[in-house]
Amino acid sequence: MQLDAKIPGGPLTEKWDKYHFDMKLVSPANKKKLDIIVIGTGLAGASASATLAELGYNIKSFCLQDSPRRAHSIAAQGGINAAKNYSNDGDSIWRLFYDTIKGGDFRSREANVYRLAQISNNIIDHCVAQGVPFARDYGGLLANRSFGGAQVSRTFYSRGQTGQQLLLGAYGGLMRQVADGKIKMFPRREILDFVLVNNKARGIVVRNLITGKIETHAADAIVLGAGGYINTFFLSTNAMTSNVTAAFRAYEKGACFANPCFTQIHPTCIPVHGTHQSKLTLMSESLRNDGRVWVPKTPGDKRSLNQIPESERDYYLENRYPAFGNLVPRDVASRNAKMQCDMGKGVGKTGLAVCLDFDDAIKRDGKDVIRKKYGNLFQMYEKITGDNPYESPMMIYPAAHYAMGGLWVDYNLMSTIPGLFVIGEANFSDHGANRLGASALMQGLGDGYFILPYTIGGYLAGTSMQKVTADDPEFKDAAKKSESRINSLLSINGKRTVDDFHKELGSILWEHCGMSRNNEKLLRAQNLIRELREEFWKNVIVPGSGKEFNQSLERAGRVADFLEFGELIVIDALARKESCGSHFNEAYQTEENEAKRNDKDFCHVAAWEFAGENKEPVFHKEPLAFENVELSQRSYK
Amino acid sequence: MISTTDKKNINLTLKIWRQKGPDNKGNLETYHANDISTDMSFLEMIDVINERLTLEGKDPVAFDHDCREGICGMCGAMINGRAHGPEKGTTLCQLHMRHFADGDTIVIEPWRSRAFKIIKDLAVDRSPLDKIIQAGGYISVNAGQAPDANAIPIPQETAETAMDAAECIGCGACVASCPNASAMLFVGARISHLALLPQGKPEAAKRVQVMINEMDELLFGNCSNHRECEAECPKEISITNIARLNREFIKSGFF
Amino acid sequence: MSWFIKTFQTSIGKKLIMAVTGLSFICFLMAHLAGNLILYGGENAFNSYAERLHAFGPIITIVELGLLFLIIMHVLIGSVLFYQNTLARPIRYKVYKSAGGRSLGSATMPYSGFIILAFVVFHLINFHFADKTGTTIFQIVAKAFENPLYVVIYIAAMIVLAIHISHAFWSLFQTTGINHPKYTPIIKITGIVISLVFGVGFGFLPVYVLLI
Repeated sequence: MQLDAKIPGGPLTEKWDKYHFDMKLVSPANKKKLDIIVIGTGLAGASASATLAELGYNIKSFCLQDSPRRAHSIAAQGGINAAKNYSNDGDSIWRLFYDTIKGGDFRSREANVYRLAQISNNIIDHCVAQGVPFARDYGGLLANRSFGGAQVSRTFYSRGQTGQQLLLGAYGGLMRQVADGKIKMFPRREILDFVLVNNKARGIVVRNLITGKIETHAADAIVLGAGGYINTFFLSTNAMTSNVTAAFRAYEKGACFANPCFTQIHPTCIPVHGTHQSKLTLMSESLRNDGRVWVPKTPGDKRSLNQIPESERDYYLENRYPAFGNLVPRDVASRNAKMQCDMGKGVGKTGLAVCLDFDDAIKRDGKDVIRKKYGNLFQMYEKITGDNPYESPMMIYPAAHYAMGGLWVDYNLMSTIPGLFVIGEANFSDHGANRLGASALMQGLGDGYFILPYTIGGYLAGTSMQKVTADDPEFKDAAKKSESRINSLLSINGKRTVDDFHKELGSILWEHCGMSRNNEKLLRAQNLIRELREEFWKNVIVPGSGKEFNQSLERAGRVADFLEFGELIVIDALARKESCGSHFNEAYQTEENEAKRNDKDFCHVAAWEFAGENKEPVFHKEPLAFENVELSQRSYK
Repeated sequence: MISTTDKKNINLTLKIWRQKGPDNKGNLETYHANDISTDMSFLEMIDVINERLTLEGKDPVAFDHDCREGICGMCGAMINGRAHGPEKGTTLCQLHMRHFADGDTIVIEPWRSRAFKIIKDLAVDRSPLDKIIQAGGYISVNAGQAPDANAIPIPQETAETAMDAAECIGCGACVASCPNASAMLFVGARISHLALLPQGKPEAAKRVQVMINEMDELLFGNCSNHRECEAECPKEISITNIARLNREFIKSGFF
Repeated sequence: MSWFIKTFQTSIGKKLIMAVTGLSFICFLMAHLAGNLILYGGENAFNSYAERLHAFGPIITIVELGLLFLIIMHVLIGSVLFYQNTLARPIRYKVYKSAGGRSLGSATMPYSGFIILAFVVFHLINFHFADKTGTTIFQIVAKAFENPLYVVIYIAAMIVLAIHISHAFWSLFQTTGINHPKYTPIIKITGIVISLVFGVGFGFLPVYVLLI
């Protein structure tokens, strides 16, 4: 297989406009005759469904939850970036582009990232028109804040619920098209398989989660916006049902998977409290704008936090990175927290936490100002931990949060399966080896509102389609295969629960393939995952039947895929013999323990092709060419 | 309430509503939850019960949940007769066991309303809420049509009031806690959010009419101003939004 | 007119009718109470008030018919709402607790309403449709309240009325869309004051009549 990113020629700033113009169009009359399946109703999926329906296509939209409004995009707190330069602080499309490329440690495509920066402004316009209540200044104009290590204020926000508000905007657009009959909504459906006809993606197999019925659906193109795979780690900030199943099935059908080892560990999460913990809660990284991160200078200091005097506190981020201080990018902040805890300087019951202290901010600005900025976050923290952050420092620790890797897509957002488009977190395209704060919302909506609706037209206009229906033999076969997989899961009747396996997989990955990796640990992880997978298929217990609402069965299917996919993360991490962004291999670091890239050998996208069960996947390389930015060692000193 | 510093484990008796499917009869069944850490969330406590039931070869308790950080609106059940449990402004997933005492008996029932059918155990079908939004709970704008985001200034106070209403997570606790199973707070929140903003005004009259008609058709009850919804809403959305809905309705119906 | 009927067929429309008719009853009761307070002025004052009132002739009849129409609307639509609300939750909770929203007034609205309806019928039979030949209205009143059972019934009914109005007053503002952080607290207090005034004002009369 030859990867062709189809990046248009010409100067960077003109690529997208020119491409736009060159693209074939589908006539309005023909759009009515074309069916598109959209999987997922998060920011990417909902915005794509709505926009495609507005254009005139017939859409079938699928989601796992009981309502499209509940997709996990809803949990994004901080904000959405755009290069509006409303703050007049020197922002521009070019700067947003450059920050994103640099933040991603030069492992993303210039053309894609520039396009994203260009359309970022349209996203804000559209969201405001939809009624998203962004924060505003006293004059009634939009407010901005600086976020996640950016030196300009370009982040638009709705309190701590920006993702929710943006998603409700997209959901409104989706609902409007459902009412118009242009979208048919299928909630509580799980994707079990893709159906390829003549090597083109033409349909899906889904399970109706309420009745257990296996259904097949046909279309002329398929859009996958099913989110990221970070729940492979079990404990993560993702929702409980976030999964890799749809993406992994696409991978098995021939879609290459790119950079799976780029997994973001978010620095400001509430620490793990015990073995029954089911998920981790993110505290918006906006907290780092005013909070100061510290640990006790002496390892093993067991005094209560308020009793540790100023002189015995190590503000390690401020000391190590004077220019950025507490605002260094996520990967840097996370890794430093781990380093401090590894030295025994961690705080809290488990010693796996660092302090995020608002004492100085409260002294400087007063309690009321801090409450206005972070009140809801402080409240959330107190609800979960029972501690009051106005009185004693918050305790935070990194947690798995976001997947930069994803299905490989070209400039059109099409995977290596013709007709299968991948958008939002499910694709790999824009964040390189590390995503900057407030960029995920931008990418999800950018893909859905302003990129995919054009590029999918180009595909549909230029491709001749044979007629397929959901009753064709290819569909029946796929349905049968899915059914037999369900039956085999139900018939194992072993002694360990699904969650038990998932937790073990998560801890293997967290320990061996988390914030700090090395070859030895990675090799061990690969073996452990293989053994665990083998045991799973012999010893898992899944109660109930497949013909009913069966949440254990749902989870079993997802964990079976996590067990396969977890190994792919490790394989990719092993193959990338450098450190970059979120991927930190101890063998490749500078003298100051910073990630050391190897641009000579690894300035590429690693795309993996499925070679068959229990076979090493085939490696494909998409070299990354940087014509407009100079590759530099990231420095936040 | 147990003090937050006291981290001892507790034993509880649970009475959980079990119902195989929408058409089956259900009943409360008793389970013992022993050695529950007070740091656990309520849903993590049910996870523990479910793990045990699974290993015993029994059917685990079905319940809806997803984000577990109080924003997706997927979880929810009546805990001792209170929607999302006894804590104010809290979803069930954010309710922690430190609010219960050793030896407590907890009755767990699904949301009950004629409009919400039970799917299984504690999981209910809340799609009627989506249907109300489908009727007109949006601003009609196509991608590409929007003017510059700063073209229309919106007073900060208006934006904040709209945001207060927009925080609704669509969990259905208002319906569940209302003695009349009315959805007026849900509808009021959406109407308020959109009617307050200049972008939502062109469609305001039509929107309130169609949404109220849809709400009535779906057989939700009528609002009697009991204010239980406001007291139970995990996002603490105020009934001033219901008053605004009433105003919008009067405006659209008579003027 | 179809828009008119359609508007009142909705749940909010029905509630608006409850609010407006309810408000008119409150206005009527204020006038009624003002008249009744003349009782404290003694037999002659009260009888002359009654005479002057009846001198209005047909106007009184029109007002009475109007009130009758409003009562029928209030009772019928209230019953429909009550019935619909009962249907809205066919399977009830095994355990149900208030989170602090409900009040005695709000929780008993339909029941207090039906009690008041029964009382109004009773009251009309007693006084309005009483045989007034060869007697004065004061004598009819005095005679009725010689019976302690009547006194108890009247006082009990006035307590129920006060409870009904304690929710009804602020509720009718809410239903008509009047809710404002500055004014709603005042409206709520006014509602309590009005219900107390009605309760005490009407409720003490039988006792006073019994005592003189």
